[in-house]
Amino acid sequence: MNLPHLHLILNHVPTIGTAVAIGLLLLSLVRRNQQLTRVGFEVICVVALITLPAYLTGVATGMELEKLPDVSKAVIARHHDQALQAFLFMLVTAGAAWLGVWRFRRVGNLSTTNIVVVLVLALLTMGGMMTTATLGGEVRHPEILAPGEIAPTAPPAWLSAAMVQRFVLDNTWVWPSCETLHFIGLWLLFGVVVLVNLRLLGVMNGAPFSAYHRLLPWGVLGLGINLVTGMFWVIATPEQYMTNISFGLKMGALMLAGADLLYLTTFDGPWNVKSGEEAPALGKAFAVSAIALWIGVMYFGRMLPFLGNAF
Amino acid sequence: MEFIYSLQHTAAMDWFRESGSLWGYPAVLFLHTLGLGTVAGLSGAIDLRLLGVAPRIPLAPLTRFFAVIWIAFAVTAASGLVLLVAEAEAKLASPVFWIKMTFLALALVNLRLLRTRVFADPRIDTHPIASRAKVLAATSLLLWVAVTTAGRLMAYLEKGPIG
Repeated sequence: MNLPHLHLILNHVPTIGTAVAIGLLLLSLVRRNQQLTRVGFEVICVVALITLPAYLTGVATGMELEKLPDVSKAVIARHHDQALQAFLFMLVTAGAAWLGVWRFRRVGNLSTTNIVVVLVLALLTMGGMMTTATLGGEVRHPEILAPGEIAPTAPPAWLSAAMVQRFVLDNTWVWPSCETLHFIGLWLLFGVVVLVNLRLLGVMNGAPFSAYHRLLPWGVLGLGINLVTGMFWVIATPEQYMTNISFGLKMGALMLAGADLLYLTTFDGPWNVKSGEEAPALGKAFAVSAIALWIGVMYFGRMLPFLGNAF
Repeated sequence: MEFIYSLQHTAAMDWFRESGSLWGYPAVLFLHTLGLGTVAGLSGAIDLRLLGVAPRIPLAPLTRFFAVIWIAFAVTAASGLVLLVAEAEAKLASPVFWIKMTFLALALVNLRLLRTRVFADPRIDTHPIASRAKVLAATSLLLWVAVTTAGRLMAYLEKGPIG
């Protein structure tokens, strides 16, 4: 098993997963069942979490494939551009879906606007992912192209990886600015995550978990800032990260920490912890793992230049 | 100053900078980051609460976090001191370093004021949050952003031996 192999396994999830979520959302509208809508939103969050390694292993695969004589670099680049665009749509869709799930906890229903926004975003994401999948197929399956066509079959994307790379590398202020934002995002996310999880660990049992749950969007904002700034670096200098063991460990810890973050909102265990009550054992286990994993994300991030080769 | 410069060139500091051991420079750099994440993160979360986010979190139990923040600050300051000594000549000559120290001093005074002026009040959870408390929360957030910004820019505006 190597990164290209992992890419071939993961790359189906964004397309099929988003399609499943859209199906659930449409069904929930027909059945007028908001519990089903919530499930659709949760599926989108999980699919987005898996889209991260699908995208990153794709970048690594592209770097490997470019060394081979019989592949078109233009097709690989076009596939990457489309993937980048679709991934950004996926992140925005997941952000809107997560906010919906978070709000559902508090008010017990979802606004029509929220459902329509997520549905439209999910449709756009799925369209982008389907084009990405087609273009990805063209990299290694010339038999799906029309005779005489040398690909890529799609017109240039409005956002290209090369554009982002030039923006970061040609402007000396971009990298330090991303660093600054990445560290502000780091403490915003870490502070919120620690405080909310400490409630589960019994540090402040005087108030219900729901009171602390209100802080979470600020942590998710920090996570969003760090995903975007982190992607600037990965696109600008992929060679620093794709062969870097510390980056692989950081992304692994990040995915697990992301799952812990979702747990706080999607499962009933934490939410049902009332004023004066202890959290259930499972909730405590998730809380310990969340704090440990975010510290791990920080550690392997800081070790990028030392365990690996990044500057 | 001369004393700090002489420390920079001791065998221990040479090892710390140049050995390549994960227990040297990288470990201390990580502790500095973890400390920052805890100090600014917990302060930031308390500031957000004072500014009106998550209004049902009782304030009085948050008082205990001031001790945690100061302990985390001790870790940040100790690791920062080692990082400073390791590259004393470059850092002490850098205006950005002194700007960072100025913002840090202000942020610590702000933290102390939050503890003594806002959290010392026994009626903290029964009365609406005073506008003075909100101002202190806002300046606290801005100052931690400023400290973080200056700290990050130190690595880019003057490149030390490690960067």
